[in-house]
Amino acid sequence: MKDNKIHTYRTRTNILLTVFLIILFLVLGRFFYLQIIQGNELKALREQNINAFEYIYPKRGRILSRDGVVLAEDRKIFSLAVDIEQKPSEESIEILSTIFSDQIQLNDLKDLVSNSLRYRKSEIVIDKISQQDLAKYLVRGSDLRGFSVIEGYEREYNNHPSIFHVLGHMGYINNTDINYFSPKIDEYDSRLWRKVGKSGIERVYEKELQGQHGKKYFQRNARGDKRVTTDVDPFQEGQELYISIDFEAQKLAYELMNDRKGSVVVIDLSDFSIPVAISTPSISANDLRDISSLQYQDLLNDPSRPLFNRAFMGLYPPASTIKPLLTVFALNNGYTDWEETIFDDGFFRFEEEERVFNAWREGGHGLTDLRKALVESSNPFFMNLSIRYEKDLFVDFLKSSSFGSKLCEDCYPHQFSPLINDAWKYKNFGKELFKGDFINLGVGQGYMLTTPLHLSLISGILAKKGNYQLPFMVTKKDNMLNLAENLTDEDWSRLHQSLTDVIYSPNGTGFRINAGDLKLAGKSGTAQVVDINSREEYDEVRSNELLRDHAIFIGFAPYDNPKYSIAVIVENGESGGRVAGPIAKQVLEELLDDI
Amino acid sequence: MIFNLRNSIILFSLAVIVLMGSLTIYSVTSIDINYFLRFLLINIFVILIVALIFNQINLNRILSFGWILFLANILMVLSVEIFGNEINGSKRWLDFGFLSLQPSEFMKITFALFAIQYLRFYNFRFTRFRTLFLLGVLFLSAMPIIIQPDLGTGIVYILLGLMFLFICGAHRFYFIGMGVFGILLSPIIYSFGLTSYQKGRITSWFSSDQDLSEKWNILQSEISIGSGGFTGEGFLNSKQNEFNFLPEADTDFIFSIYAEQFGFLGVFLILLMLAGFIVLTTLLTMTEKRLTSDLSPYFIGTYCTLVIGFSFLLNILMVSGMIPVVGLPLPFFTKGGSSLLCFSIMLGLIFTSRGFLK
Repeated sequence: MKDNKIHTYRTRTNILLTVFLIILFLVLGRFFYLQIIQGNELKALREQNINAFEYIYPKRGRILSRDGVVLAEDRKIFSLAVDIEQKPSEESIEILSTIFSDQIQLNDLKDLVSNSLRYRKSEIVIDKISQQDLAKYLVRGSDLRGFSVIEGYEREYNNHPSIFHVLGHMGYINNTDINYFSPKIDEYDSRLWRKVGKSGIERVYEKELQGQHGKKYFQRNARGDKRVTTDVDPFQEGQELYISIDFEAQKLAYELMNDRKGSVVVIDLSDFSIPVAISTPSISANDLRDISSLQYQDLLNDPSRPLFNRAFMGLYPPASTIKPLLTVFALNNGYTDWEETIFDDGFFRFEEEERVFNAWREGGHGLTDLRKALVESSNPFFMNLSIRYEKDLFVDFLKSSSFGSKLCEDCYPHQFSPLINDAWKYKNFGKELFKGDFINLGVGQGYMLTTPLHLSLISGILAKKGNYQLPFMVTKKDNMLNLAENLTDEDWSRLHQSLTDVIYSPNGTGFRINAGDLKLAGKSGTAQVVDINSREEYDEVRSNELLRDHAIFIGFAPYDNPKYSIAVIVENGESGGRVAGPIAKQVLEELLDDI
Repeated sequence: MIFNLRNSIILFSLAVIVLMGSLTIYSVTSIDINYFLRFLLINIFVILIVALIFNQINLNRILSFGWILFLANILMVLSVEIFGNEINGSKRWLDFGFLSLQPSEFMKITFALFAIQYLRFYNFRFTRFRTLFLLGVLFLSAMPIIIQPDLGTGIVYILLGLMFLFICGAHRFYFIGMGVFGILLSPIIYSFGLTSYQKGRITSWFSSDQDLSEKWNILQSEISIGSGGFTGEGFLNSKQNEFNFLPEADTDFIFSIYAEQFGFLGVFLILLMLAGFIVLTTLLTMTEKRLTSDLSPYFIGTYCTLVIGFSFLLNILMVSGMIPVVGLPLPFFTKGGSSLLCFSIMLGLIFTSRGFLK
């Protein structure tokens, strides 16, 4: 064979060997780049692959009454979920369905399990297992491969319906909640929360109550299963919250309402905290937890509106109960004094408009001064006063009595009593306020509307001689407000005496309360639901319960050293003195007994 | 067999590669030590037995069956279409019960045997007709592989076949011509000749989109390799494997697991052993004194050596993301009967070539 041919072979082999070595060095360079230069970055990526964490839902803080009763707390619950790693066997599915036969059907269980395995999502099969069933499950645990017990928490409320409106309730988070909480809570991450406070204390103190999530670190494989827990940061339980509600008094007030619609609000005058705030009818907050949307609709459509918080939201004409406050206004601005008398013949004639207003008592009260007008509740006297009121001073006075402003930061939802001024009337009726309006306003009718909370506060303002603070349930506010600086101590004690006489003098509208040694001072009121022009009409109205007058009572006790102020409203209760007053008496007795 | 320094280095290199391959397979597939021993023993036994058989048989006897073996192999590839098991949308495997074989793996050997038989008849003198005939046979026989569809194996088969003709001395005009022709034709082949699965593999290689599953595989492979760092995570400490982030960790992507466990040092060692084995073996066949008489052992020896070397490099290029994923086995690492048998036969053919024998 020729040498040049052999030379060709050798050259070609050498070429191929050279190519091989070049590629080999390229590969070496590539591995140098990946392992030495990029090594740490790629390793970090690997750790990201493997290490993951999930949040541990925190336990929400408890809510307690000022007398130490637990009103709301998170209770541990157990649920059973499909363990997608172990995969439940046919046999264990059957055993499970017999243990929990009253909670789930075999076929439903099978569907749940197969869906869970298909989508690789650990589906919950039995929610909230009772202790008894959990024990049954644990005994058979070794036969029941493929299911795991999951711990969780559920909000458990004191079952008494009196507490529902104050506490509020929890519900699944929605966009409204996100918009509400985002500006209030720093770095609010709405994705972390399933349920949030929807109303009441639960909503106002969401930030304090919610606690902080824990973290469970684990390693997972590419499919997301095969979890090995590596580390656990425990959750931080939410703050415990004491609220000013006195549970015993709260319960009593609710029961005294005896299924009638209405509200009772008490303010503790030592610090203006709220020991009683009820709205009837009500439900137990626990009933709202597992309710279906249909049942929820029923509650919303119930004409007695059990979900509506009358205490903070209900607007009622204060009727005669506004008279003491307007007495303060009239004395402060010199519209009258304790000596002026008028003759009350049961009517008030407004000559400018040639209108005649009926008073509640046929024949009237006769010769009436300010004390008698308060004790016997003379409408003509206060109507006569009200035509003297100057609009600006009147509006300013309402403003400093907290009309048109928020009364309580802890009350949610909250409605303020409208401030009746030109702007308000223009907005609602397209006209300015005129004199005739003041005649109705002067006896707490017409446009005058207040919430029970505000009425209780008005009573407190009277008790504390014009010095007051805004009421609260959790957070005390240290801003003293003052009303009517021109009133002398003499004026105040005569006013207090008149309000005491309402209860204790035989002529008083509240004499029938039989307040005994409670030392109650107060004022009753009867708010018309419909305008009535004649006696005949009145009898007709009485036969329809829903059109009957609202019974209102405000008061404070003891009159020589006021500790509590109260407002009671019984819708369609007719007589403030006879219906609302006795409720106030018993609630105040209960509260004062404690001291 | 002479145990001089050179031969000892060759055997030592090979032993290291086989040992490392078995260790890696063991770390990937099972923590059972028996499995490792079994795999190592099977590896060594297959290599030794095949080498011994080939040692005993005169290479001339084998070569005289060249065309029959080649034809039989083509028929087996075709029969896969009828009897084969379908995996990943393509049929490549024949199931024999105790082992399943991928007949297309053996085409690169049988084609060489057939071509040598043919060329030897003409004393390795190429004419235009003979060159075109062999090229025709090469391309035609690649068709059954490509339509399986297994484009990767098909292309590698053609490239190795061309390499064989290059080694045997076909005129360089054909290689230059085919290179130019291939480059010009590649867009047309891409547009009309590929399935979407194949296109996906190629486009994913050029794409920067991390979500494509092919790209994801490569990324996971690079993560494995990079995590090894300089010294590696240590034997049995591949987390990418433990948590199943690397697909096909026991076949195509096994080298990534090796790199994660043994680091750059391990990679360097393997490449050093590979270079030692390939270069020394090639030089051995080249400096054979009796090169002047029958050239067949020289051709077959050089060819098989380089096939092992290039197969190794192609797989590593693939797992380190330098070429598209084509599904090439890594010699003596990949778990799989066909690959092991194929490379063992090649070792047998190398040892039969006369450098090792007196």
